[in-house]
Amino acid sequence: MSAFDKQTLAHLKKLCRIDCTEEEEMALLERLQRVLGYVDRLNEVNTDGVTTCSFVLRSLSKLVFRQDIPVNEMPREEFLETAPDQIAGMIRVPPVLKSP
Amino acid sequence: MTALYRLSALKINEMFKKGEISALSIAQYFLKRIAKHDPSIGSFLKVLETEVLLKAEELDRKRKKGLFCGKLAAIPIAIKDNMHIRGQITTCGSKFLTSYKAPFDATAVRLLEEEGALLIGKTNLDEFAMGSSTEHSAFFPANNPWNLETVPGGSSGGSAAAVAARLCPMATGSDTGGSIRQPASFCGVVGFKPSYGRVSRYGLVAFGSSLDQIGPITTTVEDAALMMEVIGRHCPNDAMCLDFPQESYEMNRDCKEIVLGIPTQFLEGLNEEVSANFYSAVDIFKSLGIKMIEIDLQILKYSIPVYYVLSTAEASTNLARFDGIRYGNRSPNAKTLDEIYDFSRKEGFGPEVKQRIMLGTYVLSAGFQDAYYKKAQKVRSLMIQAFDKAFESCDAVLLPTAPSGAFAKGAIHDPLEMYLQDLFTISANLAGLPAVSVPSGFTKANLPLGIQIIGPQLCDVSVLQIAHAFENLSPYTKIPPIFDDEAP
Repeated sequence: MSAFDKQTLAHLKKLCRIDCTEEEEMALLERLQRVLGYVDRLNEVNTDGVTTCSFVLRSLSKLVFRQDIPVNEMPREEFLETAPDQIAGMIRVPPVLKSP
Repeated sequence: MTALYRLSALKINEMFKKGEISALSIAQYFLKRIAKHDPSIGSFLKVLETEVLLKAEELDRKRKKGLFCGKLAAIPIAIKDNMHIRGQITTCGSKFLTSYKAPFDATAVRLLEEEGALLIGKTNLDEFAMGSSTEHSAFFPANNPWNLETVPGGSSGGSAAAVAARLCPMATGSDTGGSIRQPASFCGVVGFKPSYGRVSRYGLVAFGSSLDQIGPITTTVEDAALMMEVIGRHCPNDAMCLDFPQESYEMNRDCKEIVLGIPTQFLEGLNEEVSANFYSAVDIFKSLGIKMIEIDLQILKYSIPVYYVLSTAEASTNLARFDGIRYGNRSPNAKTLDEIYDFSRKEGFGPEVKQRIMLGTYVLSAGFQDAYYKKAQKVRSLMIQAFDKAFESCDAVLLPTAPSGAFAKGAIHDPLEMYLQDLFTISANLAGLPAVSVPSGFTKANLPLGIQIIGPQLCDVSVLQIAHAFENLSPYTKIPPIFDDEAP
């Protein structure tokens, strides 16, 4: 497996949308390298011809889709109460598009 | 009269039903106990004093009228703080959610409440249930009632510690890789992770969706069965919750026909004290007439790498919803939309959570998915096959719950060493199996140890029956001396 280095971490920070301090970054790099080194042990297992487990319930339950019926379980005001900022019945965020 | 804290939930409920004690006295008694003892334990993040007293008064009125008050009437139950109680803050042990007021009840919580339970408070946990010691709570760590300088295990450490110190007779936990069973073992109580799909996770903040289950932490197996009878129901709001008929959790069973499997080779290298305890538990099972056979589950030695690929992959996806936009705390330093995401997550998540989100994102990222994620899913298939094969010749598998007793606070810094705590518990989550931890004795330092019984999918009742038979013969369910303050 290719090396997990500072550059990989910088890319990951973008993918995860997590900023961190330089100090945190150093610790993260070291810990992630260590955990990934351990995870590489999986290569000891021969998995040729083995199917991936995608459904832990196996035969117990066929994926049953619910009827597509709209329900209104939560009044708008109650839902909005969980948002950090709101305006006129909507969640408020800073401008997404910058004016030209 | 025996002091209330020494009684099981079932017994407390019986006394209430017979009119020997009011729900209000029960609530007041346990609230007092929490106020007296929890400052030294740190098991509760919030005590719901007003709410619990109101509910108790309502129950007393109902009983006076001769109405049925529910299967769990007047039993104080603590709720792990990653499950919603409508109108209360669900923190998940994280700074991110200090102001998140749950707009609905978790299904498990609603079912408990409908059966007359007294929801007494929200318990401490490792942030977003990621940890094995409850040291990673963003607020304060919880301590083990058996020795306050040691950890209670985790992530349901607050629930296990509260039940162990008898601050309440029952609590809920959630278990993604051992988070109910390992703290139960460390604190000397019973912890049960039901089969995947048995209990609805609606209203449980998701961590690893193919692994998470809610279950009881109690002082006796019968109490765990009692809670399961209430929460083990189908609910359409969790797509993975099985629509099966309601089980009857009758605990008495003749165990002579039962065969238990021991994966001897997988257990090689076990710490001496844990090994001695494990094999003395095996002798107790034998004295019940239970037959023991050797089984091969060597593939389980890969449980930890499989788990840390899959659970972090799922966590990175689940925790993407914490964006500072829709719920939780928004960084006051953010001025642009991008900064809201980046800063809110930077300031809201603790180091362990950040690490797991990054690991999960990495194993799912382009170029690495086959090497990590798909590989782990294949090894998971092999583990499920190994369990299937084992269950052809035995009714359940016997394992220690944890590789040691409770460790000292701050003793484990290395992430791998901490992850190894879950070596014996993770496989039940990976294969979706029911598993229970029951107290099985003590270390030389007088810290509890537990033994774990893992059964085939959906054999929840059978697993609890075997545990119940063991519990009947073993005198290990004890109260930590410092909190046994009204001992006869």
